[in-house]
Amino acid sequence: MRTRPLVGAALSAVAALALAACSGGGSTGASSSMPQDEIVIGTTNEPTGLVRNVGGSSGVSQTMTRNVFEGLTAVDVDGQVVPALAESWDVSEDGLTYTFHLQPDVVFHDGTELTADDVVWSISDAISPESKLARKNDLAVITDISAPDDETVQLTLSRRSQSLTFNLAGLTVVQEGDSELGPDNGTGPYRFVEWVQGDHLTIERFDDYWGEQAKNPGVTFRFFDDPTALNNALLVGDLDLVIAENSPDQLVQFEDDPRFTITEGSSTTKQLWAFNDRVAPFSDVRVRQALYKAIDRDALLEAVWDGYGQVIGSMVPPTDPWFVDQADVHAYDPAAARDLLAQAGVTNLTIPVDYIPDDTTETVVQLLRSDLADVGVTLTPNPIDDATWYQKVYTDHDFQTTLMGHVNPRDVVWYANPDFYWGYDNPQVQEWVAQADQAATEEEQVELLRRVNETIGQEAASAWLYLDPQIRVAKAEISGFPVDQVTESFYVADIVREG
Amino acid sequence: MARHLLTRSLLTRVASLLVSLALAAVVVFVVLRLLPGDAAGASLGVGTTSDQLEGLRAELGTDQPVPVQLGQWVAGLVQGDLGTSFVSRQPVADLVAARLPVTLPLSLAAFVLAVLVSVPLGVAAAVWRRGPLGVVVSALSQLGVAVPVFWVGVLLVLVLALQLGWLPPGGFPRQGWGDPAAAVRALVLPVVTVAIAMSAVMVRYVRSATLDVLDQDYVRTARSLGYGRWAALRRHGLRNGAAPVVAILGIELATSLLGAVVIENVFALPGLGTLLLDSVEARDLPVVQALVLGLTAVVLVVNVGVDLAQRALDPRLRLTGGAR
Repeated sequence: MRTRPLVGAALSAVAALALAACSGGGSTGASSSMPQDEIVIGTTNEPTGLVRNVGGSSGVSQTMTRNVFEGLTAVDVDGQVVPALAESWDVSEDGLTYTFHLQPDVVFHDGTELTADDVVWSISDAISPESKLARKNDLAVITDISAPDDETVQLTLSRRSQSLTFNLAGLTVVQEGDSELGPDNGTGPYRFVEWVQGDHLTIERFDDYWGEQAKNPGVTFRFFDDPTALNNALLVGDLDLVIAENSPDQLVQFEDDPRFTITEGSSTTKQLWAFNDRVAPFSDVRVRQALYKAIDRDALLEAVWDGYGQVIGSMVPPTDPWFVDQADVHAYDPAAARDLLAQAGVTNLTIPVDYIPDDTTETVVQLLRSDLADVGVTLTPNPIDDATWYQKVYTDHDFQTTLMGHVNPRDVVWYANPDFYWGYDNPQVQEWVAQADQAATEEEQVELLRRVNETIGQEAASAWLYLDPQIRVAKAEISGFPVDQVTESFYVADIVREG
Repeated sequence: MARHLLTRSLLTRVASLLVSLALAAVVVFVVLRLLPGDAAGASLGVGTTSDQLEGLRAELGTDQPVPVQLGQWVAGLVQGDLGTSFVSRQPVADLVAARLPVTLPLSLAAFVLAVLVSVPLGVAAAVWRRGPLGVVVSALSQLGVAVPVFWVGVLLVLVLALQLGWLPPGGFPRQGWGDPAAAVRALVLPVVTVAIAMSAVMVRYVRSATLDVLDQDYVRTARSLGYGRWAALRRHGLRNGAAPVVAILGIELATSLLGAVVIENVFALPGLGTLLLDSVEARDLPVVQALVLGLTAVVLVVNVGVDLAQRALDPRLRLTGGAR
């Protein structure tokens, strides 16, 4: 007898589920009762947290930088440095003093006016000794920050820095004293509304924005762990746009379907087979060159990306100003590879490769394995996860070779840091990189970094396999999104829905 | 006398539950710290220096010796504080609470559905064991046990969501249960998926428990007295067959929770399972610890509940004072 109410409750629960399942009709769950014109964007890249100056969460910069939070400068969708919170700036004759003139009438999302003190605080906090901001070293050149008046910010440098205005674009400004990103302390075209971890982040148009108004009323980013679930949501109409497709297999279902548009743009994501250059046999330039020549990169790219993407021969993507096409410097040549290995006196080489397993890296490992077997080298795969990679490879340098994708633009300069995980140590390259940043003109900077680019390519400091394509799929009525991804942010203010 | 025995055995059960829980907490804590990689590294990523890494470790307290960290965690637990996420810096209790409205209904509904399907099917399959129904049920349950649960999920999405468009392929409404119809629709496929996997196992247990009972002397005697097969089963068999089935139900209740955790990723549901996966990946140890300990606690508590339920069903167990 006691079990009756329980069974009754259970029955009604199941009945309710069944009823609701049948009654919903065509509309799908997640998109009901949202504003019709809000843009819903799917991505696998979720912010890790909203505390400022901890690492460099690409999920945060992708969703928030330029959309909600702005720096003195910005990098536009073509990779050019443009004015943002600073409407202009003057550089002193010696290149050591930068005077930024703030945009007038900028207000934070709670209505407070932006003052020079907010900017001074935001930059000081980011470069303070306690800051754990990634690439903080890039800003170490700043020795003093001051606000001569409410509309002016002055930076004093220890030396010239060609890349200062580029680096400042990634450093967003919040209200003085704030250590977290929130709904009140941004200045961008959108106001941050909410982040539900593991699900979505919503931003809405800010009507008192100082610049051009966003063309849509708001955007929700939905986060997925599983690319299949992401594409399913797009297929049934729950999403308007997917920022990045991870494999061509997912594209088949959208091709030849008039409901969708597929765009192919360029990215700055370089896929590397990186060697630990500080240990034998990779400290021998001939061995690195031999291994590089042993790889049929065209076939590899074809297998992984089915015709999309681009073969590269160095760390520099075509959208960086110092790009030189070096894809053919160490073109596929197994005979030359065998010769070089013989010259280096290396026989029966067995190389472990640490990699983070997914569909792409599994394919790459298989192909590398067969290419290398062809020149008498055995590759032994060692799958590990992200956190292990960071500990073992990045921090402890306890590896021989690894597969890794590097997403940042302008990161060739890491080859000038002998303590970086790949341990490439060439004093000439280090000197050029140092000179390039201190160069008097941009032309001089570009010329020096071109030399760096050519030198590391020639010496096969790493084996750069290919540049990822940037493939987006959108509903046919969605337009105005950036096709290329050459910056860390995904700028959404120009996205519109037609019809 | 019997009452006194029952109280004493209850106290013993609760005491041993607490000891198991404490042991589990220590094991979970230590094992997680043997994993390569840590939260500081995972959240800082490429482009940071070792000084910054050390700084973050000091901030999170992960630079302390493991026994000290364990002591701090246990001290917090005793005061009801689950700690703070290493990554998002939000209280762990808030993170877990935000996910419960997805995982709890999912696992309970799957459990109820599985019971409603498998108990009648299992009994019927036993009664008509040589008939077509018995054979079909046995074959289907074999198949259900062999197929991985996420594969069932993928298949259901393909047919019911993508081909037929009857249900959403994944996701949970942004308003959560504020939009009850959408929330229920979002959970239908995951519930059915987990229930299928569970029913496959439970049908087999119910069937074999019923078969055992049908073979007992008292059932044969009852039938010889003129009761029909069903009447004999109803009058003498169900209560006798229930004890082993209750044990399985207990295990399956815990399984439904684990099944929900596994299947959430397939359906992009913001529940405890996706939280657990993300947290392991980011080495967000306070969150992982809380979740694993919580799941362990549920399993242990369900076991005690099962034990008590069995005693209620079968007076013979009460007299032996717990020795089974």
